[in-house]
Amino acid sequence: MSFTVALVVAGVSGFIALSYEILWYRVIAFASWGLPGAFGLLLAAYLLGIAIGSRVAGAFCKDDATAGDKNQLRAIAAFALVANVVAWSVVPFFGWSSKKYDWPPALALVALSAALLGAILPLVSHFGIAADDRAGQRLSYVYLANIVGSAAGSLITGFVFLDVWPLHTIGLVISLVGLGLVALIAALAGFERARLVRWLSSVAVAAGVLVALTPRAYDRIWEKLLYKSKFEETTKFYEVIETKSGVITVTQDGTVYGGGAYDGRFNTSIRWDRNGIMRAYGIGALHPAPKKILMIGLASGSWAKVISHLPGLEHLTIVEINPGYTKLVANHDEVKGILVDPKVDVVIDDGRRWLHRHAPDDGARFDVIVMNTTWHWRAHITNLLSTEFMQLARAHLAPGGIFYFNTTSSEDVQRTAATAFPHAMRVYNFMAVSDAPLVFDKMRWAATLASFTIDGEPAIDRTTEEGRKFFDELVAYADGIHEEPTSEGLESRERILARTHAARVVTDDNMVPEWREVLRFQEPP
Amino acid sequence: MPGRAWIYAVFLLSGFAALLYQIVWQRALYAIYGINIESVTMVVTAFMLGLGIGSVVGGVVSKDPKRPVLLMFALVELGIGLFGAISLGVFHAVGNATLGMSALATFFVTFLLVLVPTLLMGSTLPLLVAHLVRSNGNVGKSVGTLYFVNTLGSAFASAAAVLFVLGRAGQTGSVRVAAVLNVTVSLLAYVAHRRSQRPAEIAATLSAAVPAETAEVE
Repeated sequence: MSFTVALVVAGVSGFIALSYEILWYRVIAFASWGLPGAFGLLLAAYLLGIAIGSRVAGAFCKDDATAGDKNQLRAIAAFALVANVVAWSVVPFFGWSSKKYDWPPALALVALSAALLGAILPLVSHFGIAADDRAGQRLSYVYLANIVGSAAGSLITGFVFLDVWPLHTIGLVISLVGLGLVALIAALAGFERARLVRWLSSVAVAAGVLVALTPRAYDRIWEKLLYKSKFEETTKFYEVIETKSGVITVTQDGTVYGGGAYDGRFNTSIRWDRNGIMRAYGIGALHPAPKKILMIGLASGSWAKVISHLPGLEHLTIVEINPGYTKLVANHDEVKGILVDPKVDVVIDDGRRWLHRHAPDDGARFDVIVMNTTWHWRAHITNLLSTEFMQLARAHLAPGGIFYFNTTSSEDVQRTAATAFPHAMRVYNFMAVSDAPLVFDKMRWAATLASFTIDGEPAIDRTTEEGRKFFDELVAYADGIHEEPTSEGLESRERILARTHAARVVTDDNMVPEWREVLRFQEPP
Repeated sequence: MPGRAWIYAVFLLSGFAALLYQIVWQRALYAIYGINIESVTMVVTAFMLGLGIGSVVGGVVSKDPKRPVLLMFALVELGIGLFGAISLGVFHAVGNATLGMSALATFFVTFLLVLVPTLLMGSTLPLLVAHLVRSNGNVGKSVGTLYFVNTLGSAFASAAAVLFVLGRAGQTGSVRVAAVLNVTVSLLAYVAHRRSQRPAEIAATLSAAVPAETAEVE
């Protein structure tokens, strides 16, 4: 085996291994609702597999096998063939495992696949590098080729493939690249013609089998990963949007899941509230005259639609990290108007970075900054829930401005908000915080509800007895601040601080909400 | 010559520390530059390029059989530990100063930020491979075993990070744990270097002594 071939094999195998890792990362993110512990365990399984693979491969390396020996290419070709087929099967196995036992058992197959893929590097090093004083240097080139291949996998698969193809197509393409590598190694292995034809025919048959099996093996994989034990033969999403930024799925009843985690429902009606949209209307009770609002996160667009219709609003800036959500919103009549509303700007960016890059003195001050934040335990959510982020948001508030965001009932996050700001109030599971005194004003609340219209339709039809009764009940919500707090009601800063005395203030450094409970398993919908 | 088990244990700890850094540094950089796919790809690619270049540098350095690769490995680990100890402060200072830059400029800054430590990390495998090949003459076994222990250390670190370290120690504490490990690894590697030098020193002493004795006899 020549040194050049070793470089090529190391590079392509690096591309394949990292491409598969990206796919597995996406799959486990969806199956675990983006649990940080799941990512760590996936990486641990992957690295453990590579470690074992390299150890076993080292044991195969006999002292009498010399660099340049073409016979060794045959062994590597056979090895790469098996490695690719096993790696291809990991995603379908995640689907099967999710139905039976959730995602953890699939980590075993991740480790096995990584072991097979990881064995290739030591094998090509042994058969491609002479054992002399330059071994370290030559190894460094093989290692570099492997890293360059891995970086290419990160760029091409992570940046291009994920944006243009669905998961099953990418899984198939990576496996075919792997089989192409097998064919190349076989072609260079010095087989006599008839044997080479048999080898290449076997590779072609394997490719044909994978092409034929992929649609069935990857069929409704996202449904399997989300519904788990409740997946049935008839289970099917209404909509699936896959981009390089993530996977968005919508169930038949209009529930949105972003990266496998509940992300709201399509609904703007406060009368038929099935997504807690009342909290969006509540901005009218918290701020006397919100004219300029920043919203971090678009999701289903329902909140944006309601906020864009707040009486007196002049401009709404929405920063969304995943462009797939604009595609989603464009497909749904109830909310798609926000994409063409002249009062609304949708920016694709990381919310925290956007705030960092837009100085308050350059016009980036807002009456309200609102975030219907995802679950407090998802990976990297600390970036939006820490004390440091609260200070960043505070710097972008206009005088009397309010930062209003979903704590998903985390006591750590509620305490952090109540500690960072002198004025704070809990509204259901949201925190409203400000440097100015805060009140959920009953008069403003009643006025907001009375005048609120969406696309010309009143939010509450008070011409009926039922409508008036609903209106009165809703207005009475403002009285909750004087009563014993409930999980769905209002709560003052003092009560929050007393109730959460055992909680910890979240910082960028301690990442408390993400690591308070490392493993969680969500009930399927 | 120190036992191979010693070298393997040292490299396992080195892999543990390296992955701990990687996890924390990536998180710190994502907090500065964003967690969108562009930033993630930039950071991951910068890490890989640094490791790749470090591998080549380590390979070039290890080419000369007279070079004390174990001593160099010890110094490299010490360098990683020293950088690690101040890394978060450096990242935050540079990150805050460069937030407004374009995507390409951000990539270069990120690359430069992680270049020093990843270059050092990438150089460790070729250095130790060169050391082992000099003694056993088997590339596959050397690469396979060293890669095994180093990656095993990283696998342990990945599991330990999510199960114990990050939640208890936070980012700063985790980096300190890694830095302490690097310094420990450096000391252990230095001990191994000294032990490997000892037979040569004895031989040199003997060869210096023998001619003198011979001269006296004559």
